[in-house]
Amino acid sequence: MADIRVEGLRKEFKDVVALDDVTFAFADSQVTCLLGPSGCGKTTLMRIIAGLERPTGGEVYFGDQRVTHLPPRKRNIGMVFQYPVVYRGISVAENIELPLKSEKLSKQERAQRVEEVVHLLGLGASVDKDITQLDNGTRQKVAVARAVARQPRIILFDEPITNVDAEAKLQLKRAFKELTRRLEQTIVYVTHDQTEAMTLADQIALMNEGRIAQCDAPRALYNRPADRFGGWFLGNPGMDFFDAELGPGDGTGRGGATLASPLFGAPLRVGGLPPGAGRTVTVGIRPEHVRVAPAAGADGRGPLAVEGELLRKSISIGRQYLLGLRVGDRTFKAKVAPAVGEALPASGPVLVELPLNRVALFGTDGRRLDATLTPAGAGLPVAAGTA
Amino acid sequence: MAQLETQLDGVGSAPAGLPPAETLAPPRLRGGLRALDDSRFFPIFLLTPILIFFLVWNVIPLLWLLGLSFYRYKLTSSRAEKYVGFENFRDIYESSALWGTLGRTLTFMVTTVGLATVLGVGLGLLFWGSTRMPGRRLALTMLFTPMVLPPIAVGTFYRLIYDPTFGVANYYADRIFGRTFDFLGDKDLAFPAVIAVDVWMWTPFMILMTLAALGSVPKAELEAAEVDRLPWSKRLRYIVLPHGKFILMLGILLRTIDAFKTTDLVYLMTNGGPGKQTETVGLNLYRTGFEAFQMGDASSLAVVTLLIAVAFTSIYLYVLNFRESRAQAQTGAGA
Repeated sequence: MADIRVEGLRKEFKDVVALDDVTFAFADSQVTCLLGPSGCGKTTLMRIIAGLERPTGGEVYFGDQRVTHLPPRKRNIGMVFQYPVVYRGISVAENIELPLKSEKLSKQERAQRVEEVVHLLGLGASVDKDITQLDNGTRQKVAVARAVARQPRIILFDEPITNVDAEAKLQLKRAFKELTRRLEQTIVYVTHDQTEAMTLADQIALMNEGRIAQCDAPRALYNRPADRFGGWFLGNPGMDFFDAELGPGDGTGRGGATLASPLFGAPLRVGGLPPGAGRTVTVGIRPEHVRVAPAAGADGRGPLAVEGELLRKSISIGRQYLLGLRVGDRTFKAKVAPAVGEALPASGPVLVELPLNRVALFGTDGRRLDATLTPAGAGLPVAAGTA
Repeated sequence: MAQLETQLDGVGSAPAGLPPAETLAPPRLRGGLRALDDSRFFPIFLLTPILIFFLVWNVIPLLWLLGLSFYRYKLTSSRAEKYVGFENFRDIYESSALWGTLGRTLTFMVTTVGLATVLGVGLGLLFWGSTRMPGRRLALTMLFTPMVLPPIAVGTFYRLIYDPTFGVANYYADRIFGRTFDFLGDKDLAFPAVIAVDVWMWTPFMILMTLAALGSVPKAELEAAEVDRLPWSKRLRYIVLPHGKFILMLGILLRTIDAFKTTDLVYLMTNGGPGKQTETVGLNLYRTGFEAFQMGDASSLAVVTLLIAVAFTSIYLYVLNFRESRAQAQTGAGA
């Protein structure tokens, strides 16, 4: 097996820069998801790795081998496309076997490999069917089986479940999870669907505007986005953002700055700001981390809770409630557990609290600031967004 | 994802997914037009112009032709036309010269269509694979010149090219073989010479059809085959052919019908000669009708020709539809 490295990769299509100086390594034997919105360059990056697209500049390495100018057939890769590709006029088993016929394998070896992948993907019932009899989901399974059976060093998935219906999507996702757990190949999986990436990936490379914005394990990526984009793109809905002005230090001699905002019930001390950080920051919090309580039940009210107004309440996936809130002149969203949501009125005054350990600060350039937040005058600082 | 939040907002409140009812209503029409729009005769109303055209220019002349084929009717004779039943058809059946002409026409058709198809598919594949060749566009454009030239010009050119004394073909024949040939006057050479010109003229059409057929092959499937390291033969068999065969067959069908009625090219190059070595059914028809003015005989021959053309078309359509419906039946069974 081999790791994949790209160095200074650049791709331009006429006036559009699809990839802007991407340097990255896909770890050996791991599943790396390339996640990002449409047009962020993730598919282009994958197609360059596959050799289906020539980069404008930069190099691609598989292990120690430079492959930048090799055609796809000489790269020993497997690829699954967005549109399920099957070869017409032959059965499922023959489809899987077809590429193996060019591989100098004995007949028994071929039969054994076909049997293995058929079993692995649960295609047993369709083996002898003609390919035209299958629905898209099963066709995609056949395409995956074909890519896996050849046992290439690297397997690439290009949004493989986008074009199948919802029921088959779930089934395929499960099959892929099982498959990727067993395979030892280096796997790159392109998707724009964050739940898919979260389910399948060992690590997620988040892409935006032709660059890799951040690469991390799924949970870390979700909890500690490196920039505003990561906060906004991940989560459903994405992070709430508020602009805030930092005040000067609180005169305790400990340096830092203060942050006073109608969103927090008390002024905050901001510590550990990197030098050169501007006065303007963006406060970000995930909607599911916002605490909301009925205004009446004021007992257990945290020191930072503020009075706000519930604008609307609607049920979301998993019976969670999605809330529209207003505090002062700022409106934002919150997502709360069913029990909490049911206790709330349809609209009206509520108590809102943003827990400091869930709050992230972003600088004017959109990058995350490694700062700590504490209630002014309190003791131990809380690192922003450490949980 | 953040974009979803607006959709989720709608879940608990109004059905935001549906547009307001009034935007669903069709645009309003006034009075009579509106009545027509609602009526079940509307499709017929739309079809009327083309049906009238079809009736006047196709159906009536065809019936007239069919009627004429049962009469003895000569334009240059003062005798009145006379109903003779199937006598004209019996004459055709008993004429060995006509059977010869028919056989030659079929040979001509099969050879030219076959050669043009083989060459067209071959060259089409080369063109398709040469996307980065400089001047590809220009080359493609120039390839189509034979097709856009009128056959009358092509015929005249080639009569000059093949000319036994000052034709350019004989200039090269002389340099290579040390002798000249009377291409269009020799009884063994005339037929192949005409076939060569027809192939020259129509190969670009088959290139075009091949390129169209290849264009209908999904790019992802070709990319998958490249990644799967399939050899060329298998790519053609399992990807290109299943997707491209319908357009290619359509091209062959059009060429077959067209080649069967070839008249002008032969008329200009050899006028059917030497003897009847290059006479096609189309040329025979032309001569019977417009040189001998035997309208009855010409009509009956035209009817026979038409039936043959219909037969070819039906065979092709049957083959295409048969494969299509078989594929559909299988899909249906699987669903």
